[in-house]
Amino acid sequence: MVFEKVAKILAEHKEIEVSEIHPESTLEELGLDSLDTVDLIMQFEDEFNVSLEMDEKIKTVGDIVKLIEDNME
Amino acid sequence: MIHTPLCDLLGIRYPILQGGMAWIADASLASAVSNAGGLGIISAMNADDEWLRTEIRKARGMTDRPFGVNIMLRSPFVEKVARVVAEERIPVVTTGAGDPTRYMEQWGKAGIRVLPVVASVAVARHVERAGAAAVIAEGGESGGHVGDLTTMVLVPQICDSVGIPVIAAGGIADGRGIAASFMLGAVGVQVGTRFLTARECTVHQNYKNRILKAKDISTVTTGKRLGHPVRCLKNAFSRDFLAKEYDPSVDNEELEALGVGALRLAAREGDEKKGCFMAGQVAALVTKEQPSDEIITEMFTQAEQILSGGTKWVG
Repeated sequence: MVFEKVAKILAEHKEIEVSEIHPESTLEELGLDSLDTVDLIMQFEDEFNVSLEMDEKIKTVGDIVKLIEDNME
Repeated sequence: MIHTPLCDLLGIRYPILQGGMAWIADASLASAVSNAGGLGIISAMNADDEWLRTEIRKARGMTDRPFGVNIMLRSPFVEKVARVVAEERIPVVTTGAGDPTRYMEQWGKAGIRVLPVVASVAVARHVERAGAAAVIAEGGESGGHVGDLTTMVLVPQICDSVGIPVIAAGGIADGRGIAASFMLGAVGVQVGTRFLTARECTVHQNYKNRILKAKDISTVTTGKRLGHPVRCLKNAFSRDFLAKEYDPSVDNEELEALGVGALRLAAREGDEKKGCFMAGQVAALVTKEQPSDEIITEMFTQAEQILSGGTKWVG
């Protein structure tokens, strides 16, 4: 559920198909720089009503999903 | 007299912060700016906790006014210097190169006001939510590590998106810059380049001379390929770096290595060939070496004159 929403937001941001986004996709592969990442993190915070810390360890879409899920608990 | 909410927030006479320039912003410059009524800032750069503590104590011996510390969040000593500012009860911490959220609680308990440097609306909103007291909106005109957006475009958008005070940075070196910043919605400014030629700035004389000589087209942005662009003066170093940056046979690792230590060489040794002389575009407007207090009063006198005549095109 979280992944689907994250993928949808990412796909809209990148103007690509949702099907092109996988949990293993890295932010680098998706061409997201640090400013894009913060912008997206803010969208995720609003969407999931969580507070997220940006972390350089976040490398993949799966990492983002996990971060959101951990904060939702 | 110019007085904004930032003066009350930080306990300063003039709403001006001196940029936390690595290898440059030490106890000497920070205490001089604070003595002049602005907020001096010591750069913790990549230095260790002991260096920072010594510098803080040195500054305390030179001023009884408040001063701040800039923490570069990618520093290898970030955890240690984050603790030092809390232990030393530094009233203001500015942060760069990352997300300060994880230190907010520790700093909040120590009574520290956190002012992150931001280069986009999302980052500003994020740090406001995390408890920042104000944000420093820094445009790409500035020196050192830069974002893409210009001050003119960034500042009003950040003012529209956060409730905390906004400090404008990038491209400000005189009273016109201050007046313009206020018109964009900021309640204070951060100035780096102009303080490079302050009498109390201990940077190498060659560095000062290069700033004084700089023209409008004297700066260049290097390192875009690496994802963290740096604005510096054109010289042998930057020309060589840019040539390699556009040479596909040079890999990123080699390019990164080229930049290591280059700022120190410029700031401390005055090495005109291998040094990286970071400076804002506004270097061209910096034309004399003078004491910090003269810089600040000159800037604010001019700003006051301009703002007083601000209605001249109206009605």
